[in-house]
Amino acid sequence: MTDLDYFKLSKPQKMLRGLGSFFTRLPKGIANGLKKMAGGFVSLFKGIGNNLVDLVTTFRDGDWKTRLSYLIMGFGSFARGQWGRGLLFFLFQTVFNVYMFMPNAEFSGCYYLGKLSTLGTIETYKEGRKTIYGDNSFFILLYGVLTIFFILALIYTWRVNIKQNKISEELLKNGHKLKTTKDDLDSLRDSQFHKTMLALPTLGVTIFTILPIFFMILVAFTNFDATHQPPGKLFTWVGWDNFNQLLAMDSASYGDTFRHVLLWTLIWAFFATFLNYFLGMFVAIMINKKGIKLKKMWRTILVMTIAIPQFVSLLYVSKMFAADGLINTFFMKWGWITEPLPFWTDPVWARITIIVINIWIGIPYLMLIATGILMNIPADLYESARIDGANAFQMYRKITLPYMLFVTGPYLLTSFTGNINNFNVIFLLSGGKPLSLDLAGGAGHTDLLITWLYKMTVNDTNYKLAAVIGILVFVVTAVINLIVYNMIPSVKNEEDFQ
Amino acid sequence: MSDKNKIPEVDIVVDEAAGVIREVKPENLRSKKGHERRINTTIYVALILISIVWLAPFVFLVFQSFRSYLTESGAMVNYLLPKQWSLDNYVWLLTDPSSDFLRWYSNTIIIALFCSVLQTFMVLSVSYTLSRLRFKGRKLIMNVVLVLGMFPGFLTMIILYFLLRQLGLTQTGAVPGLILIYVASSGMGYYISKGFFDTIPKSLDESARIDGATRAQVFRMIIMPLAKPIVIYTVLMAFMAPWGDYVFASYVAFGSKPNYNVAVGLYQWINVNDYQGYFTRFCAGGVLVAVPITLLFLALQKYYVEGVTGGAVKG
Amino acid sequence: MKKILAIVLTVAMVLSLASFASAEGFSGEIKVWVAENVVDFTNEQVEAFKVANPEYADMTVKVEPVGEGDAANKVITDVESAADIYGFAQDQLGRLVKAGAIEEVEPENAKVVEAENDAGSVGAVKMGDVMYAYPMTSDNGYFLYYDKSVVTDPTDLDKVLADCEAAGKSFYFQINSGWYQVAFFFAYGCELTYDTDSDGNYVKLNTNYNSDKGVTALKAMIEAAKSPAFQNGSSLSTATNVAAIVDGVWDAGAAKDLFGDNYAATKLPAYKGVQLSGFGGFKMLGIKPQTDEAKLAACDALAAYLTSGDVQLARYKAVFWGPSNLAAQQDPAVQEDVALAALGAQLAYTIPQGQYPNGYWTAAEGLGDDILADKLDDADDAALLEVLNTFVANCEAAMAQ
Repeated sequence: MTDLDYFKLSKPQKMLRGLGSFFTRLPKGIANGLKKMAGGFVSLFKGIGNNLVDLVTTFRDGDWKTRLSYLIMGFGSFARGQWGRGLLFFLFQTVFNVYMFMPNAEFSGCYYLGKLSTLGTIETYKEGRKTIYGDNSFFILLYGVLTIFFILALIYTWRVNIKQNKISEELLKNGHKLKTTKDDLDSLRDSQFHKTMLALPTLGVTIFTILPIFFMILVAFTNFDATHQPPGKLFTWVGWDNFNQLLAMDSASYGDTFRHVLLWTLIWAFFATFLNYFLGMFVAIMINKKGIKLKKMWRTILVMTIAIPQFVSLLYVSKMFAADGLINTFFMKWGWITEPLPFWTDPVWARITIIVINIWIGIPYLMLIATGILMNIPADLYESARIDGANAFQMYRKITLPYMLFVTGPYLLTSFTGNINNFNVIFLLSGGKPLSLDLAGGAGHTDLLITWLYKMTVNDTNYKLAAVIGILVFVVTAVINLIVYNMIPSVKNEEDFQ
Repeated sequence: MSDKNKIPEVDIVVDEAAGVIREVKPENLRSKKGHERRINTTIYVALILISIVWLAPFVFLVFQSFRSYLTESGAMVNYLLPKQWSLDNYVWLLTDPSSDFLRWYSNTIIIALFCSVLQTFMVLSVSYTLSRLRFKGRKLIMNVVLVLGMFPGFLTMIILYFLLRQLGLTQTGAVPGLILIYVASSGMGYYISKGFFDTIPKSLDESARIDGATRAQVFRMIIMPLAKPIVIYTVLMAFMAPWGDYVFASYVAFGSKPNYNVAVGLYQWINVNDYQGYFTRFCAGGVLVAVPITLLFLALQKYYVEGVTGGAVKG
Repeated sequence: MKKILAIVLTVAMVLSLASFASAEGFSGEIKVWVAENVVDFTNEQVEAFKVANPEYADMTVKVEPVGEGDAANKVITDVESAADIYGFAQDQLGRLVKAGAIEEVEPENAKVVEAENDAGSVGAVKMGDVMYAYPMTSDNGYFLYYDKSVVTDPTDLDKVLADCEAAGKSFYFQINSGWYQVAFFFAYGCELTYDTDSDGNYVKLNTNYNSDKGVTALKAMIEAAKSPAFQNGSSLSTATNVAAIVDGVWDAGAAKDLFGDNYAATKLPAYKGVQLSGFGGFKMLGIKPQTDEAKLAACDALAAYLTSGDVQLARYKAVFWGPSNLAAQQDPAVQEDVALAALGAQLAYTIPQGQYPNGYWTAAEGLGDDILADKLDDADDAALLEVLNTFVANCEAAMAQ
């Protein structure tokens, strides 16, 4: 058990030391990274070069079936009796051609590709009182991106089609038999089973995740906002303007606000992760202590907050904490306070309130996880520690905590990045409020980057800035992941666990 | 979890065993026992307090839902117990012609049922493939999913909306539209069930392969029967998620009231000014949503625990 | 003679044909978005419209509930699947025009609107010189609802606050809203308006907030908010401890239910001798740009009908929305309404609401939240002036958005 070995060697300071060594390794790491990147580029160009050379030699050495396949995809496969593959290649090419050169130019790939550089030039105009819509920048960008995806897919498939020809030719030359369509179909259930299994998920992710993300990255470089709203208005490329507006420090820009929101996002993620982690572990230890009865009942009570949909529980709790809500009313009735506590109106109070309520949501998860892990700690470890005369706290510090930290390292990382994007808690509790004159762009003191992004999208239809924020969230998450990957060994190697 | 005998009780307090070994005198032992009892009492007190804090909001919610909007008030009030208990709100939700609650409820059930089947299929396909099969591009796929996962979800809301609209799946088509969106990218959430598949010994597949089974047969006949816990976990998660989605559901269904899900329908009652005095109805609706989900969750809690624990450990 | 007669007949025929053509009707579907509580009412009126205009009898009209606060956002997000006719509050007009999501009012109808509605509402539906929407109500203002058994003198805010405090109740005023905030600023002689052109662009900000007057107004707000009886809020549905609330006619029903026999409404109180002012706002119906002229004509006809004097009066009788139509305002039922009377009494002190960009509302919410967070409690005049300078700078920056 590798993790146990690690744990025996490790000390609580391991993490700190890891952090230190990360920074000392950083320059070297960056140099290595750059070298790797350069190497990557070299091998990329080499790869392209090799492919080109191979294309030429295949054409030169190939028979007429192979050569014709350069023009008509799948022809070689057809001609050699592999009609299943041939049909797929041919169908793909046909669909591509129809899409690119459709007779109704308005719907063809070429049309959108041609307009991509300007995102449309024809303005909407009026004929009498009737509105004639001009170019729709949104759909030009969307279908433009789709067309590029399609072209790349075609180039790849075309290349595969030629490679197939080459392989088939060689196989035949050496007196082997080619796979029949039935063989191909059978292989989908066996040696190529992964293709069968991944086909649908890959299609779904490509269309509904990759394409949209690509699109939104491009939107960050346009002026797509409330005043450039298709179909009535056009939008177009503006380069890095939006990044400037969000990050620059002058008064017309959002630089100050962005830093403020980013800082709170990180503070929030830190507390939401680690406070819940330790308190959850603590509760788990209490429940699991020998001699405590009704263990199942305590657990069940706690997991209620997981089961009940958050839009019910959090919305209700948010109202409970209002200035005239139940909590304040009762506190005043009992004479504990004379004035309502400013749970949602004071920025600092609001932040603390959110972190505290989030404990209510978060402890149960950690309690369940910690329970599971605590059970796996070998009992003889405690036994021998006890013989050495260790007290409860020492055992916790020397055994429980390091073990927990080690096995849940990856979880802490995903939980931290998850909390950076923890939309629900903020949105349902405070909606990002309170606002302040010191903050621009509609951001409030409890807004995370993700809720700010949401406000920009939904309230202001300011898609360009929302896209920039989205990209920056990605950058933040990626940086954190990189740092931690370099710090915690247990995150790195998935095969270790098998 | 299911088998209580397996639980090694984690004992952070030095117990008698240690005392015996160090040969403590009997009076010391007695004081140790007293110490032990004091600690247990403290823990019980703490657990009772925690339970009160955890349950109070839900109990309050239930109280409010029984306040009559006819004789008292449907708005928020500053007292807890209804002056007169009544089922007004529930009756209104379920029978009033101007209430769309049942419609929203059935929309959500439809979405949840479809998601639990289709999403499970997607997740299991991906996780099984990435866990058990070795092929070119496997690492690449995992890295791409990792990178994609770092983009915030709501970034692409506007474009997903328009993709759905091009397919005619917004407003009146919101229910199938939402199912499509939830299911399409669900394969990316493969981590936890991959972690589960990783723990099934490879020798099982190998011996079956030697007997001539195809990979598809191995998946169907060998792995799936063993995967019951993770299947139930995935189904449970897929079933529960649509109940809470307000943001995207409201974006897709806007304007078309009969096609809302419960979250969208109830959310507007306490956040849009047009609905004065709907607060108790919100509470009643919340109770009607929460009760079945909670019961289902508690019934399948065991599988949930296995899932999250495994997921946390495997990453 | 015969020739002339022939010509006259021909001309008459052509004219009648032409007029027939213009009234050829429309038989497709029209979607209408209105607030939830007027959906039924609107459906009834649509039926009446079809009876009165047989050429539209085959038209399908789908009325869906979308709140006035949401409608503009949804229309801007996706104008193609949005409703053809939608109700919204006037603060959204600028955004709609700028996004190209609203059609100009048909010129003939515009003349009728101009003649039949009060001046404030006519100003509110225009951007520059162009009329973009049909005014529907003239009641989007606020005044004071109070509990007679608690509040003894509703004309003085200090006394209102003192009475509330003595009774352990609260006075609700939504200080973190640009809409309510002006009650103080305008009362102390401040102004804040924007000039717009007919394309929906904001061309100039006219304001004197960053002056001594503004500082005095801000100080008054901070002072009022310090009272233990002061609560931020303007919705009876979420206010739990009300004895008095600054709110609009849409909450009249809820207020009657809550206060029962002690229900009362009047103009806003004075604070330290200065009568509070406020916005007089309007709700309106807009039509989205249409690619089909016949459909546009149908939308214009329907929207004009739904905002006509008779329908406004009927709407008042059904859901108590105060009309913008001059004739309907004279109706005895309207004249006797307690809430509308209070609104009318307040009218003398209010300023018709013009066009404001999104950034104004955000800046005002920020200012209000800062007051609620007690951030300005100890600030001196110079610091407050600095705050108002920031406020004005934000309002200035909002013009570009």
